[in-house]
Amino acid sequence: MALYVYAQTQNPTTLTLATGSLSLANHVEAIGQGDMRRGQTECDKLLRKHSTHQGALALKAYILAKLGNAEEATTLGQQVLHTPGALKSSHVLQGLWLTFRVLRLPELEIAVYNTALVHTPNSEQLYCKIFMAAARSKLYKDQHAAAVALNKLFKQDKYLWWVVTSLLMQAKSAQDSSVRQLQLTLAERMAEKALSEGRLTNTEELRIYLEVLELQDNHAAMIAALSTSGPLAEKIANDPDLITQWIGLLIKTGDCKQACTVAVAALEARDNWADYKLYVEATVAQASEGEGPVQAACANFDKWAAQRGRERGAKLAGVELTIRLHDAGYAKPVDEGADAVGERIWSYVDQFMTKAICYSDVMQHFVTHVKSATASGQTSGAIDFHAKQLEQRLHNARAAATATKCSEDAAQSWVSLERIRYLIQALSDDVDPQRWVADIGAMLSFGLDSDEAEQKLAACSDMTLIACQRLILAAFLAYPEPEQRGLLFASLFKVVCVLEAGIKMNDDRFLLKLYAIRLYLYLSCYDRARALYDTLNIKNIQFDTLGYLINGHGMSLGCFSTDLELCYDGVSFYDRSDARIPQELESAYGNGTYSNITDFTTFRDNLTHSVQRECTHRCALRGEAFDHGTSKDILEQWKEADAISIEHTDETIAALHDNRDIGVMGLQTPVDMAKWNLEIMTRQIPLPGSAWIKIFSMVPQIMHYIVCSEIELLEAKIGDLLVVIEEAGQSVSSHDLLLARGVHQVATLYLRAQSGDEGFDSELSALTEMIIGALPPDMSASNSLDLCDVALSTIRTASVATELFTLALSVKHALSAQRSPSANAVTLELSQIRKTALKLVGGLRTWTEKPARESIDALWVNAEDPLLASATTFLLSRRKSAVTLATKGCVGSWLKSVNNMAAHWKKCT
Amino acid sequence: MSTFRRFRAMDMFRFNNINLDRYTETYDLSFYLTYLSSWPDLYIVAESADRSLMGYLMGKVEGKKELWHGHVTALTVAPECRRLGLGRGLMDVLEVASEKTYDCYFVDLFVRPSNVVAIQMYENLGYTLYRQVIDYYMGDGVMPTEYANDMRKALARDVDKKSIVPVKHPVSVEDTFFA
Repeated sequence: MALYVYAQTQNPTTLTLATGSLSLANHVEAIGQGDMRRGQTECDKLLRKHSTHQGALALKAYILAKLGNAEEATTLGQQVLHTPGALKSSHVLQGLWLTFRVLRLPELEIAVYNTALVHTPNSEQLYCKIFMAAARSKLYKDQHAAAVALNKLFKQDKYLWWVVTSLLMQAKSAQDSSVRQLQLTLAERMAEKALSEGRLTNTEELRIYLEVLELQDNHAAMIAALSTSGPLAEKIANDPDLITQWIGLLIKTGDCKQACTVAVAALEARDNWADYKLYVEATVAQASEGEGPVQAACANFDKWAAQRGRERGAKLAGVELTIRLHDAGYAKPVDEGADAVGERIWSYVDQFMTKAICYSDVMQHFVTHVKSATASGQTSGAIDFHAKQLEQRLHNARAAATATKCSEDAAQSWVSLERIRYLIQALSDDVDPQRWVADIGAMLSFGLDSDEAEQKLAACSDMTLIACQRLILAAFLAYPEPEQRGLLFASLFKVVCVLEAGIKMNDDRFLLKLYAIRLYLYLSCYDRARALYDTLNIKNIQFDTLGYLINGHGMSLGCFSTDLELCYDGVSFYDRSDARIPQELESAYGNGTYSNITDFTTFRDNLTHSVQRECTHRCALRGEAFDHGTSKDILEQWKEADAISIEHTDETIAALHDNRDIGVMGLQTPVDMAKWNLEIMTRQIPLPGSAWIKIFSMVPQIMHYIVCSEIELLEAKIGDLLVVIEEAGQSVSSHDLLLARGVHQVATLYLRAQSGDEGFDSELSALTEMIIGALPPDMSASNSLDLCDVALSTIRTASVATELFTLALSVKHALSAQRSPSANAVTLELSQIRKTALKLVGGLRTWTEKPARESIDALWVNAEDPLLASATTFLLSRRKSAVTLATKGCVGSWLKSVNNMAAHWKKCT
Repeated sequence: MSTFRRFRAMDMFRFNNINLDRYTETYDLSFYLTYLSSWPDLYIVAESADRSLMGYLMGKVEGKKELWHGHVTALTVAPECRRLGLGRGLMDVLEVASEKTYDCYFVDLFVRPSNVVAIQMYENLGYTLYRQVIDYYMGDGVMPTEYANDMRKALARDVDKKSIVPVKHPVSVEDTFFA
């Protein structure tokens, strides 16, 4: 297996070569069947007889490219390209452009088409190919030239818009502002002319024109384009996005009266929150001119609210208007009391708390209201007001929901109010853990033990989740100190039990699973977390947005190969995307759906330069190091590792996009309220960032230099590693830092061994000490382990020791292959380490098999903790099975990790 | 409250609150991008007041002559956003575009007979059962193999409502393909 997964890219093209020549029939058939080796043999056979057969040479270049022999394929391809007359043949042409496309050399692919144009001047097909090849590769100058030629030669409207789009893309990527302006002016003129000549016929073309104008801040021209008459006007009227854009532009240009007119017309036709917001903005902007616009808006809101199914939008717009007027200093005419804003919010809650979306509608308004009060020194006033408003409502809702045969609406109302209570507590900076767990017993009873829960009412699962969120928050608030981690882990274990009960009750609720995954990993339990992750059926783009939940955790917990499988799924997704997104970009041009061009381009950039992509690849590289074979196989693997492409600079790191979908965790506070953000709180280790990526790029590079005996490069690289380690700080977990230091130690040992200097023995001792020190304690001596140590670090540290030993073994193989006199000493030492490790890991396994379960019962399940007393009582009396399940989840996961490590140490001979 | 707007490729980075629901399939990228590049105005997303995504509809137009129609490929709403009329709103956008922009004869969709709630909603929107398609849905470990109900609603262009005259016998999947 090749060590460098980047090299295993998918083929971006499918071969559908026309032979065009009977002599090549066998070759094409072999390629068509995917048998590149036979294709190559057939080519060589033909070339032995006819060494200048251009068709065979082109095919051979293609085959070499597909086989990964890029250098030879490029040379051969260029040779054919520069052979006069070669591209007269269509099959040579096809073979050659496919070659350069596989090689991802767009400039050469375009050179092929340009050369072919000499033989087939004015070929529409060739110009289109140039356009698309350039568009795929962001070669906007070439793209523009091809579009201009097509427009000039074939005079189709489509090509005119290709010119405009090319100019726009060129302008967006231009560094020089004068060049940028020139391109935008050209694009604007062409589009303007097209509009006046009736050649701008659809909203896709209009969108490109608008984008050109927007980049020049030419809002007046944008409004003029949107106000056009004729058939296009009807299409605009049926396009909600364009209407919203139009209203926004009118506000930007100060024509708020017209903005209101357009917004009202749009809102008469359909509810659209974006239009409501703009209508409110335009109304507030006119408030200084008198009460008329505000009164008109209020009347409209009342009118729309009276229409069937439109209440929510109109009412929420009323809340929005009140807040905006208040913030702008206009207390009247809608704001008549000191707490008018707050009352408006609560009036909305009263009306819509039966809907699950109610909280999402009003959350930001609560935040804005409290923050606004804070700015004027009235925080406690606003908080007190909301707390008072909440109190009786919450009491009533709870009573209604816990009554016999409660309605779905009553259940949902309680949930909505509980969410608001959570937010108000967070906004009031409530750090009293007791207040966070108040009423937990009632919430759990309703969420897990009521008739409604039996019926799988969504509100019950939501209530269980809110209870868990409260318990988590309370635990972190109550036990922030390192010496309190025993109580923290016991609390989090109980939350896991509740989550397991919730999942058992309603397997569809993915939020419960997301939190369970997070907490199991916090407790170092990979196997159960992974099992839950698998039930979520995460795939395709979700590898990029959700893979972060679990990727790499297996490597840190001894489950190397299972984690590696997941990484390969991710790598395969990224490879497929690399091939397919450019094809879809071509389709957008082909279909004339220009609104997609910028979106697809941004999407591709985000995916290509994704933090998660880098982490997935680094994890795959890391996991491959555990793929054992003979010493020859291991050395071959490291030799093949691509030390160049994975290199990162500060610039490339800064260009990475973070696509992780952190908001999916169902938080009760806005994501930016970091102190109350459970997603952040429940990460035992920091999310991989730039330092992590740098470190895990350097490990395979260092191993590659060791195996290839590149001493100078190795010295430079370990120097770089040291710098990153020193600068990493808290951004990398202590275990990853330990591993990085270990790798540095391994590399230093190799350098000492190669130079034969006196420091070798001490480096070998230091490495031994490091590996042994990271292994679990000797169980024969004490026969007991601290449960929290196991959950926090024992397995993670043992995993580092296992990984370091694996790398040290590769160094030993390298020294032997390089006939270093020190190889024997390293061999003997590693043999001793292995013996010790097998004993210590075996001891840990024995402990995990039985005493671990007893410790969980004694220290976590039965821990006397007043904070969680009601949760504990509930679990032990009503949900003992969930406690058993969570216990099994922990013990089983630890055992799996330890067994994996034990098996690995056994293999490492 | 919701904003209906065109779906964008960038939305795929944050549609997990909808797609993590076990009955919503997460397709390969090219599936979404093909719909976007072919029918961008028929791929609609609903966004909440706090900017999270609430649900989306993927649609297309296909067929020839009197079979020229709008088709609902996927309609899905996040669990917490159900019972708000979002499905109805999204369907309305597709129907309006099918009628006014594409001048179609009808709109059709496939639904599992076991999805009683969805069928009820489509019936309320004026859809009727046109035919059943044998083994249209293949079992995937989560959902069973099942017939599909092919439901249709005639648009203004189909004056005589010919497109919705029910077919008596179930048809095979191949019979549902449009050239």
